[in-house]
Amino acid sequence: MADGHTQPLLSAQISVCYAGKPPVLRDVKFEIQRGEVLGLVGQSGSGKSTLAMSILGLLDKKHSHIEGEIDFHDSDLLKLSERELRALRGRAIALVLQSPLSSLNPALKIRTQLKEAWRAHASGSGEDCIHAMRTALQNVSLPADDDFLRKYPSQMSVGQAQRVLIAMAILHRPALLIADEATSALDVITQSEILSLFRELNRSTGMAILYISHDLASVAGICDRIAILHQGAIVECGTTQQIFDDPHHEYTQKLMAAIPRIQSSAGNKTHAATAR
Amino acid sequence: MSLWQKLACAALVLVVLASFAANWLAPAGYAHQYREATDAPPSRTHWLGTDELGRDRFARVLYGTRISLLLAPAAALLSTLLAALIGGIAGYLGGAWKRAAMAVTDLFLSLPWLFLLITARALLPLNVSPLVSVMVTFLLLGLLGWTSAARVLCASAALLRGSDFVRQARAAGINGRRLFWMHVLPNLKPVLFAQFWISIPVFILSEANLGILGLGVAEPMPSWGSLLKELEGLVSVGEEPWKFVPLILLVIVVTSFQILLSRQQEVAA
Amino acid sequence: MKRHNRQFRCPALSAPTAKALAVLVFCLVSICTRSLAQGGGLRFCLHAEPKTFDPLKVDDDASGAIRYLTGGVLVRENRQTQQLEPGLALSWKVSSDGREISFRLRSGVSFSDGTPFSAEDVAYTVQQLMDPALHSPTGDVFRSGAGSVETKVISQTQISIRFPAPVAGLAALFDQVAIMSVRSPKKEMAVLGPFMVGDYKPGSSVVLNRNPYYWKTDAQGRKLPYLDSIHLDIQPNRDVELLRFKREELDLINSLDSEYFDKVSASSPQVVHDAGPSLDSEQLWFNQVAKAPIPGYKRNWFRSTAFRRAISQAINRDDLSRVVYHGHAQPALGPFSPANKFWFNANLKPQIYSPETALKALQGEGFRMENGTLKDKEGNEVVFSIITNAGNKQREHMAVLIQDDLQKIGIHVNVVTLDFPSLIERMTQTFDYEAIILGLTNVDLDPNNEMNVWLSSSENHQWNPSQKTPETEWEAEIDRLMREQASAADLNKRKEAFDRVQEIVAEQQPFIFLINKNALSAVSTSVRGAAPVILWPQTYWNAESLMVAGK
Repeated sequence: MADGHTQPLLSAQISVCYAGKPPVLRDVKFEIQRGEVLGLVGQSGSGKSTLAMSILGLLDKKHSHIEGEIDFHDSDLLKLSERELRALRGRAIALVLQSPLSSLNPALKIRTQLKEAWRAHASGSGEDCIHAMRTALQNVSLPADDDFLRKYPSQMSVGQAQRVLIAMAILHRPALLIADEATSALDVITQSEILSLFRELNRSTGMAILYISHDLASVAGICDRIAILHQGAIVECGTTQQIFDDPHHEYTQKLMAAIPRIQSSAGNKTHAATAR
Repeated sequence: MSLWQKLACAALVLVVLASFAANWLAPAGYAHQYREATDAPPSRTHWLGTDELGRDRFARVLYGTRISLLLAPAAALLSTLLAALIGGIAGYLGGAWKRAAMAVTDLFLSLPWLFLLITARALLPLNVSPLVSVMVTFLLLGLLGWTSAARVLCASAALLRGSDFVRQARAAGINGRRLFWMHVLPNLKPVLFAQFWISIPVFILSEANLGILGLGVAEPMPSWGSLLKELEGLVSVGEEPWKFVPLILLVIVVTSFQILLSRQQEVAA
Repeated sequence: MKRHNRQFRCPALSAPTAKALAVLVFCLVSICTRSLAQGGGLRFCLHAEPKTFDPLKVDDDASGAIRYLTGGVLVRENRQTQQLEPGLALSWKVSSDGREISFRLRSGVSFSDGTPFSAEDVAYTVQQLMDPALHSPTGDVFRSGAGSVETKVISQTQISIRFPAPVAGLAALFDQVAIMSVRSPKKEMAVLGPFMVGDYKPGSSVVLNRNPYYWKTDAQGRKLPYLDSIHLDIQPNRDVELLRFKREELDLINSLDSEYFDKVSASSPQVVHDAGPSLDSEQLWFNQVAKAPIPGYKRNWFRSTAFRRAISQAINRDDLSRVVYHGHAQPALGPFSPANKFWFNANLKPQIYSPETALKALQGEGFRMENGTLKDKEGNEVVFSIITNAGNKQREHMAVLIQDDLQKIGIHVNVVTLDFPSLIERMTQTFDYEAIILGLTNVDLDPNNEMNVWLSSSENHQWNPSQKTPETEWEAEIDRLMREQASAADLNKRKEAFDRVQEIVAEQQPFIFLINKNALSAVSTSVRGAAPVILWPQTYWNAESLMVAGK
């Protein structure tokens, strides 16, 4: 982390358009520092998920066109082959999706799913695998016993499922975790638990997080910096404090206004996250 | 296990055991012609009577069960696997693959099967043993019976391809082949099961009909198909009820399998 | 089952008593017929659309049936006695060289439209018949050599016809030639037979009406036919035919198979008739074609007379007839069944079933039994396939019985059923088969019609067709005898030659004849005067003297 601020973990400058349509992302430029939590906020349709998929190289290449560069660990992700990208996915960059239940394979036991994720990047013995699985599950505060591993996704709660997904994502200690609306489908309590889990993981492992959400309030609690994505472009980027205290862009101001507040004292701005 | 499942299980065990004890239960064998007692009603010596050539129907049912119960599921398995591979992979890969596979399926469905089967028969030597003949027939059925299931599987696989868990798995760096085997294929199970169970009775009957093309089980060996053919010319149900035993057996076996399997599917789902 | 003999025979009665009885019977019959003849209409099925009403162009069964019922012929072959009887000709004479026939014709006969009949009509019909431009299928049998046919009208009632070369069995051939009018404006629709075409609904039915000008009368001088009409339904489906017969919507079924026979017999035994063995045969033969794509050692078996005879001996023909045909078939002796009264060689001995003798004969030829399997001299296991057409249950069943019979002498048979076109292709094009079971349908009594089967050069010489020169001595001998019978004018000489052919076939077994099917038919009890026979048209051969009651 010594040179963390001198060279960013990931720096991107990209434009994406789908065939025959106006561009989804227009010269989007941002950086993520090592160990940093960057929030990416925008309403649905603003191109958030496209951005996440672009970083992972999972955009359908036949129907989309990407320009620009995404530098990660000294290499441009856009120039890597599928094979090289696959080696990065799950190992260096991990993804957690929005809906935990549909993101887990309904036909497979938890053990099998974790094992598959582990085997994608490791070729150690079965014991190594079990060890990695146990550690990951402990990290997300889930039981690591056989009973739990034998469960199917349908036999778990939403919160548990999301934790399993996160455990799967951190199995290989990635340098960057992309959470794409990872808490949006959860109830408020579970949401806050998962948010603190992210924060905790960020602190304990030094893993950078790109936290994508439409909900500015939920982002505030864990993010070091926030970028506002509007109509395919980043309209404002700054520390959480800056954004909340002094939003420049009209769209950001609208977002701010939409956050429900608790009026603690007149004229004193309090952001929603602090109320939690 | 419910009562029905127990019953189904018992019925299957009984049928399988009986068919494998055929040598002992029906020592006369399926080919011996009691020419003085043709088309006889049930008696102490012939429990289900004899057929038109005086062969013991009970023995023929047991030996026929052995053939059909082994080979029809094998052919059903083959066709299901083909459907899974062709439909499933094409749907999973999508794009040009999917279009190509569907074109092949359409072509397959539109081919004049009768002529192809006649050609297949022409390519086979005339001197093949009855067993080889019936095995070849079921193999052909297995190789040809996958098309309609492939279409369903292709559509299902295409849906799965865009699902969250497949995207999540790709994001975990899992490669294409394992994605298909571990994440797509297991979720096609219900369709595969349906294809498998529908195929069995269809294949059993098709085997009998292919006799017209010189395929199917050859005389004197029996199969359920050839036994069911006996019912073709029957005028009334009441007169000779013992002739319906093969049909009843077929219904019992297929139903039993389905009762047992519907449970498995529930668990898997 | 025994033949139904419907002839009245009572040798014990003295002549005067018989006469008195005949008068009594006559009175009874005439009382009955008066009430019966009112509105008498017969109904039965044609199994296909008749292709033509022109008697000279007939080439299919349905048209043939209409020609039989409507056409007037010079000479009629009585289907019951198998003898020639005068028709429009009172008498006829064939010249000693077999090339010329002269007829003395009936006078005072008219066509169905009233046009009078004379020798000129016969001359016209024969010229049309032999006209190369018309391609009459009926005329084909008369074409024995190149050149034209001369007709000489001697008088209104006398005519002689001279052919360029001798024609075997000349007089009988005129049974097929319906005489047409040279003058009638109605052309071929003016007929001389008992019925004439009244109404034709394509795809549905043909109605034949009584011909009021028909010349024939019964023994009591009553004009024939008795029937007012015959309603022919066009119905290809035999099951529908059977059903409609059971509902009494039809009066006859010309040919039943043994299974249907038993079904009908079970419910109404009085309507079914088993007229005894027909001319139709079922046979097994081995592929003797030199260039056939089968192993050489197998061809050697198949070309060995001893092998074929042994197989023939090891087949239990009584069981074939009893088990497969439920007794409605007789073990066959040769190409002609005993039903062919004149041409059948009565000296032929029935094939005795004896697997022991068969095995002994094979062992004499170097075959040997090893653990229940027969092997030839070189140690090849004796295994061959028998093919037959799929869907013919009786042939399939015969094949399975033969399979079982031959297993007893250590021969392993594979039974394969093929769709008919594939079977024919193997039989006539690729010769890729070992043995076949098929049947021959014989409509004619005269062996001359079987030339194409027995001549070694013929395409239809099934076991080894289209030979340039006969490959065996016995085939050369058959060729010679068949040609001899074809050119001889003397009937007895022809019979002698064909008797010898039947003996050679019995010795050599190129066709292993299995059974002759019985002629089975069904006639409703409302039909009077029916006497089903083995020859076509089995049930309505005497349509002119049939009556239908209570319609």
